[in-house]
Amino acid sequence: MGTVHAKSLDPLPMHGRDLGLHPDDLVEPPEPEQESKQEILENKDVVVQHVNVQGLGRTKEDLLGYEISDVFHAKNLIDVMKKSHIARQRLLRLGIFKEVEVLIDTSEGSDALPNGLDVTFEVTEVKRLTGSYNTMVGNNEGSMVLGLKLPNMFGRAEKLTFQFSYGTKETSYGLSFFKPQPGHFERNLTLNMYKVTGQFPWSSLKETDRGASAEFNFPLGMTNHTLKWEGVWRELGCLARSASFAVREESGHSLKSALSHTMSIDSRNSAIFPNRGALLRINQELAGYTGGDASFLKEDFELQLNRRLFWDSVLSASLWGGMLCPIGAQPSCIADRFYLGGPTSVRGFGMYSIGPQSEGDYLGGEAYWAGGLHLYTPLPFRPGKGGFGDLFRTHFFLNAGNLCNLNYGEGPRAHLQKLAECIRWSYGAGIVLRLGNIARLELNYCVPMGVQSGDRICDGVQFGAGIRFL
Amino acid sequence: AGLHRVFDLFTSTAAEPWPESATLYQPLKEDQILLSDCASSLAVQAYLRMCGLPVQVVCKANAEYMSPSGKIPFIHVGNQVVSELGPIVQFTKAKGNSLSDSLEDVQRAEMKAYMELVNNMLLTAELYIQWCDDATAAEISRPRYSSPYSWPLSKILAYQKQWEVRRKMNAVGWGGKTLEQVYEDVSQCCQALSQRLGTQPYFFNKQPTELDALVFGHLFTILTTRLTSTELAERIKSYSNLLSFCRRIEQTYFEDKSS
Repeated sequence: MGTVHAKSLDPLPMHGRDLGLHPDDLVEPPEPEQESKQEILENKDVVVQHVNVQGLGRTKEDLLGYEISDVFHAKNLIDVMKKSHIARQRLLRLGIFKEVEVLIDTSEGSDALPNGLDVTFEVTEVKRLTGSYNTMVGNNEGSMVLGLKLPNMFGRAEKLTFQFSYGTKETSYGLSFFKPQPGHFERNLTLNMYKVTGQFPWSSLKETDRGASAEFNFPLGMTNHTLKWEGVWRELGCLARSASFAVREESGHSLKSALSHTMSIDSRNSAIFPNRGALLRINQELAGYTGGDASFLKEDFELQLNRRLFWDSVLSASLWGGMLCPIGAQPSCIADRFYLGGPTSVRGFGMYSIGPQSEGDYLGGEAYWAGGLHLYTPLPFRPGKGGFGDLFRTHFFLNAGNLCNLNYGEGPRAHLQKLAECIRWSYGAGIVLRLGNIARLELNYCVPMGVQSGDRICDGVQFGAGIRFL
Repeated sequence: AGLHRVFDLFTSTAAEPWPESATLYQPLKEDQILLSDCASSLAVQAYLRMCGLPVQVVCKANAEYMSPSGKIPFIHVGNQVVSELGPIVQFTKAKGNSLSDSLEDVQRAEMKAYMELVNNMLLTAELYIQWCDDATAAEISRPRYSSPYSWPLSKILAYQKQWEVRRKMNAVGWGGKTLEQVYEDVSQCCQALSQRLGTQPYFFNKQPTELDALVFGHLFTILTTRLTSTELAERIKSYSNLLSFCRRIEQTYFEDKSS
């Protein structure tokens, strides 16, 4: 009676199995029985009779049925192991189990078939409540961040998260409830409530947002869609007594109630240093038809193409663009407009310091485009290959972009013309470091060109950290 | 950069002449502005007219939030922003315009004392009636204050302002007063002003000062604003010299005003 433990099946065993015979087995039963067992283990047809999940506490069983049902369709042992592996991955991605172990055993019991197998998933649920505490130190301010998470709250992979940040300059908090559709984890609903304050020294502006949002994600073929409603009470104020009058005029309260839709297709093999693939993301936002003061239609898109070249180098091209059309008589709000420039955008320029400005405060613009061409190569001489060195890349870049306000009375030809004049661009080289799977750090030497009066440049060495880079 | 600009303020304030483009900001006249803000704004407008300094009045829904001190009105002169009558008087003085230069020190102290009286009595009474009297708050103040905003922001801002003013009233000891007591306080204040004014055209000599502008702003606004009851206006009307004082200033300085 050998039992086959299949603990963690990474990597998938492709070259036969190490059966790990126990001393007992050697003394064991007669030849014929071992013969039949041997047959099972040698890729003969099997039938999966039972698939069990053990170790459930608060998780509801109907949720798991969808994830593990495919194991029943396995035809031979290798297939069983493959499907169990996939089912294990699916169970782990729900985010409700700390560990999942898979046990494949021959069937027992009165209805056991000679080639029957039982697959058991032994799971360890995550704790009901997890907390985290961080302190953050930034520009002249410190804050402590407290996070509370209740995973798998009602037993069907719902998650409630609460984050609270208390700092010397501001206090923010957010509550978020996540509910996936049982059986279709990629279709999920998220409800948010938050209060966030931000300071934007490039505009001498401070903003406090108190809002709620409801977001529905679903995949459709190769694309991923998000439908979202958001209601925000925005409070704008001057960051300093010396703020320009144009920014002072934007102070006050407004209410934005907006519906938005995002479509994205991502075929890249990695979010940070992709070797191949493309990303296309198109977003539109319509405000004003569900209440509120702000009324506009906003479109923006992001495109990135990657291609591997000679010698492990990658050529990457990206294009961003967007347009904001106010609906009705009132002008657009500074909090809705687009901004351009900085280490994450057109490099070589100050943070969001391109485009319309008044007395040194940047007001943003209603239309923009930005493009980048990058050549990423591994570090010269590849120090620390296979380990630390792989987190770094050198890159050579060419960035360009423009930000302006359009006169919507004129036609599209005039708009394109306006976006094409006074293009800012820059080139340079630097080192990029990957942080985890989400963020990156860059240290570049930049040469800005096409600088218009009013833009603030950062020529020479520029450092940048962030998630989304041009 | 900040310190540099402060020095610029002091040196250039006197240097630059009063520009044509000077602007005064207040909330929307038709639907939004309340009694107390209207009175303060009118006082500043009267003062500037008395000084002979032209100013354009612009109505903006977010004027209160644009103001550096949070109070109405404020003026935008050149690239400087100054709010409230006191600082504005100082500001114009630095530019060489003053109405109280010819006063002796004793008179100036008296003028300041009467201006304090108006601010502590009349202005506080206006705020009390607007926000602490439930009938007025519900019928007039909250709807007007929140008129530029959509629901639910309108409700939130109106109640937030009401709580803020009520807290302030408690802090200055007016929280426990009744409406009758407030009317009495207004009467007493008017009596003091009426006695000081006597039969003179203005409070000091024959030339108006900032005190005249302030008193005119408040009294004229109370007389011409519709409230839930006419009691407040009646109390003022019982002092005939104050009435003729208001009419005189209106005719002298606001003849082009269509109201």
